Amino acid sequence: MFRSRRPSAQTTAVVLALAEDLTAWRYGYQLCRQLDIKPGSLYPILMRLTDRGLLEATWDTDVPAGRPPRHLYRLTGSGRALATELATTTTTRAAATRRSGLTEGWQGA
Amino acid sequence: MRWTRRRLATVTTLVVMVAWVVFYAVALANADQQPGPVTAVVQLVVPPLLWVALLRISSAAELAARLVLRHWRSRAGSRWSAVDPPGRLLAAAAAALPERRREWGMAMLAELAEIQGRSARWRFALSSVRATLSLPPAGGWPVLALAAGVVVASVAAIGSAVGAAVPGLTVFAVTFTGFVGAIVVAAVARPRRLRLPVPAPTVLVAGGVAASIAVTVIFLRRDPAAAEFLPPPAAVYLAAVLAGCLWVTVASPRWLGANRLGPHLGAAAAVVFAAWFLLTFGTDGAEPPYPLVLLLGLVLAFAPFAIFFVPAFAAGRAGRSLRSGLQAAAWTVAAVMPLTYALWLPVALRRHAIDGKTLDGELVAPAGVNLADALVFCLGIFPVFGITLGVVGAALGARRAVPNDPS
Repeated sequence: MFRSRRPSAQTTAVVLALAEDLTAWRYGYQLCRQLDIKPGSLYPILMRLTDRGLLEATWDTDVPAGRPPRHLYRLTGSGRALATELATTTTTRAAATRRSGLTEGWQGA
Repeated sequence: MRWTRRRLATVTTLVVMVAWVVFYAVALANADQQPGPVTAVVQLVVPPLLWVALLRISSAAELAARLVLRHWRSRAGSRWSAVDPPGRLLAAAAAALPERRREWGMAMLAELAEIQGRSARWRFALSSVRATLSLPPAGGWPVLALAAGVVVASVAAIGSAVGAAVPGLTVFAVTFTGFVGAIVVAAVARPRRLRLPVPAPTVLVAGGVAASIAVTVIFLRRDPAAAEFLPPPAAVYLAAVLAGCLWVTVASPRWLGANRLGPHLGAAAAVVFAAWFLLTFGTDGAEPPYPLVLLLGLVLAFAPFAIFFVPAFAAGRAGRSLRSGLQAAAWTVAAVMPLTYALWLPVALRRHAIDGKTLDGELVAPAGVNLADALVFCLGIFPVFGITLGVVGAALGARRAVPNDPS
């Protein structure tokens, strides 16, 4: 079930990080390091996104002997749509912020 | 002469027996009223038997601890030896996750296996454990808050209702409702698929708990003064034990209800124990014939041993694991406690109406003393006996089941 509420900044960052390469499978610790998010925050985000059908998850099949398989994630079709929407919103807000900053700077000058 | 432990125990037992016989002879010689021959024999034999049983229990407890420790070292120890403390911590947290989140725990464990460096592993494990602890309930926080509110309201309502009807049971009613409510709230917070793989044992234990509550209510309504023998700590203990028995049957952790054999063996043993109890104490106060006294003496010594030991041993052997045996032991104790308690009070009341004595037939006392006796024996001594013997049985059964066990 979708919620219309806007995702948190960390959720947005996770979705956009996964959208960087739509075909690649990513694992949790990789995203933790890339985004500097603690696993205690990242895993609930991945769990919620998976529950809502925005992520698909699978187990790593190419595992060296003696190591447990890792859980891999990538965006689904719905997830990609959300990523596009978030990227647009983020760009628009960044632009608005820049414009606002410029205006404030001009007014202050 | 070397004083081995066994020799010391034998000599001590002989000294205790001789001392008791001398003491009892002197007491009989100076008594105003001589007891009947059967009573005299029982009084002479039972204390030394209890002494021997005490020695056996202490050595059985020591044996149980040794066997469990050895088993844990040989089985679990080898499995854990390659896992560092962060791994163990996270594995424990992952094991406590509900079934629908089990994959999530496995994913975190797999990630931890790839992380190098002690501090990085600790940071990852601690952060992940925090996430597992703050897992939102399945229905969301509002549902959990609603369930908690219903429990609090139930506790308050039942407390006032019972306080008006049976004042002596107020503490018990409030505490029992609170414990059951806590089980319900935990089930809402961490829901699992409701499974009743062993309906007959579940009904037996749940029925025993319901009967225990019913007989306590009847007991206190017939004799309100007996409430002085159920002080608040005892009432809380009674509530905790009965709620614990319910928890074992309907909401126990996975490891306790994974197979069907243990619960069935435990329930069957509890029924046998209840039958033994009725045979031993369900008489009308008349002393049984002398041969039956001797037979009951033997049963008194061996029945509890067999009833608690055999199911755990058989389940441990059949399941080829200590865990299977411990399941049977836990179910045996969980079934024996409410069943015997539910039988003790009515049998004791009937006996008290005949000659004013307590259930053991030796003490003329108020009927309420039977309430305290039932608590001490059924919910205190029997479980200690049962768990100790059950652990020994489970460990021996699991040990025998492993052909090449070096121990």
